[in-house]
Amino acid sequence: MLVAESHAHTNRDAGVAVELSGARDRELVHRIGRGDDEAFRDLFGRYAPSALALARRIVRQPFLAEEIVQEAYLAVWRNPSAYDQRRGSVRAWLMGMVHHRAVDAVRREETQRRRVEDARASDPIVVDDPADEVAREVDVPHERRAIRAALDELPAEQRQVIELMYFDGLSQSTISERLGLPLGTVKSRTLLGMRRLRASMAGVER
Amino acid sequence: MREHARIEELIAIRSLGGLDPQDQASLTEEMASHGPDCAECLRLEADYAEVAGGLALALDPVAVRSELLEETVARLHGASDVEDRAVEDRAVEGGAADEPGGRRSRGSFLRPLVAVAAALVLFVGGWAIGAATSGDDGTTALEDPTVVAFQGDAEGSLAVAYTPGEPGAYLLGSGLSTPPAGSVYQAWMISGEVPTPGPCFVPSSDGSLFTFVDGELAGADVMAVTVEPAACSTMPTTTPVFVAEIQTV
Repeated sequence: MLVAESHAHTNRDAGVAVELSGARDRELVHRIGRGDDEAFRDLFGRYAPSALALARRIVRQPFLAEEIVQEAYLAVWRNPSAYDQRRGSVRAWLMGMVHHRAVDAVRREETQRRRVEDARASDPIVVDDPADEVAREVDVPHERRAIRAALDELPAEQRQVIELMYFDGLSQSTISERLGLPLGTVKSRTLLGMRRLRASMAGVER
Repeated sequence: MREHARIEELIAIRSLGGLDPQDQASLTEEMASHGPDCAECLRLEADYAEVAGGLALALDPVAVRSELLEETVARLHGASDVEDRAVEDRAVEGGAADEPGGRRSRGSFLRPLVAVAAALVLFVGGWAIGAATSGDDGTTALEDPTVVAFQGDAEGSLAVAYTPGEPGAYLLGSGLSTPPAGSVYQAWMISGEVPTPGPCFVPSSDGSLFTFVDGELAGADVMAVTVEPAACSTMPTTTPVFVAEIQTV
């Protein structure tokens, strides 16, 4: 009972912290709209390490990843009014732009199959940087743990399609071909997995 | 209550970046049929955007080069200066062409087009061809398509793919910003100085666009995109944010 109450407290506290964090992000975007450099720097500091990790995971080229993150932040600066609170948090918006640009870059540059094969042949492509450890320490360990746990709890076949789609930038039809599955199966596994993640993250996410 | 199962599936896949162009078009149609204020649609978009955005946090963050922030800030101001100059140039070029009530005259609407040079941006073109010809059922295939990248001040990339002499075209975009609340983008086929209204559209939440322009292109020498009221317009009411010279014959 005590344990359950403790978990409830932890989740509620995390939820409050997340909401405060979301409100702060919205305020930063509002200030960016007024040309506030400091707000831009704050937003950069908050999410650039995660945005860069995402871009590097997808494009597997550190310099290209930096360019992608920079472009996404420039887009925020140029058009902060594009952020629509009804469609999600600032963080989701920003990560969506990074993801979209990274996937575009991958699909433009060469075929996905070749990229994945090359990546597997020469792993690890992204060289570990000792400073990464510092970035990890200042990040958001609670959310990270919760999201990883949610991913781990997915049935393997659902996690596989979600990871191929999100982290490798593969389209539903490419995954269908790659795994030899009917397209409808890929779609249904994706939806089921995303529904589970949505439920799992509900108490943590903005 | 309307059925949202199909929309949910497509939104979930789109949030992961995995939607094929045909399904993207299908989602755009479904969403349009529910209207821009469909609360359940917005909720699904927000929820799945959060899930996808959260997945990024599953990765260990990496150290950001200390110079990257300053380089980015330097680009901010470089970009602002360029934009300011462009605004000034337009003000000089446009003079006092705005009519009372904010509606621009046809001359003002078309004036920026004079400066447009036809351009084929290879990466946009290549992507557009790939997207437009990738339909398994052939419904999206264009024969020997001509792809022209739009130019303009708006954020993102937009291209039109069409077959000269054939009706219809595809608009393909990425990184596009959402038009202001109550507004949509509208395409126009312009022959001489006469604009013919085309479809209205709103990019996906990830800024992508794949939509069919169901109309006769013959005779048009320019395609333009303006921001219009959600009900769409019969004549442009704002200056184009994207323009492209096309050859339809």
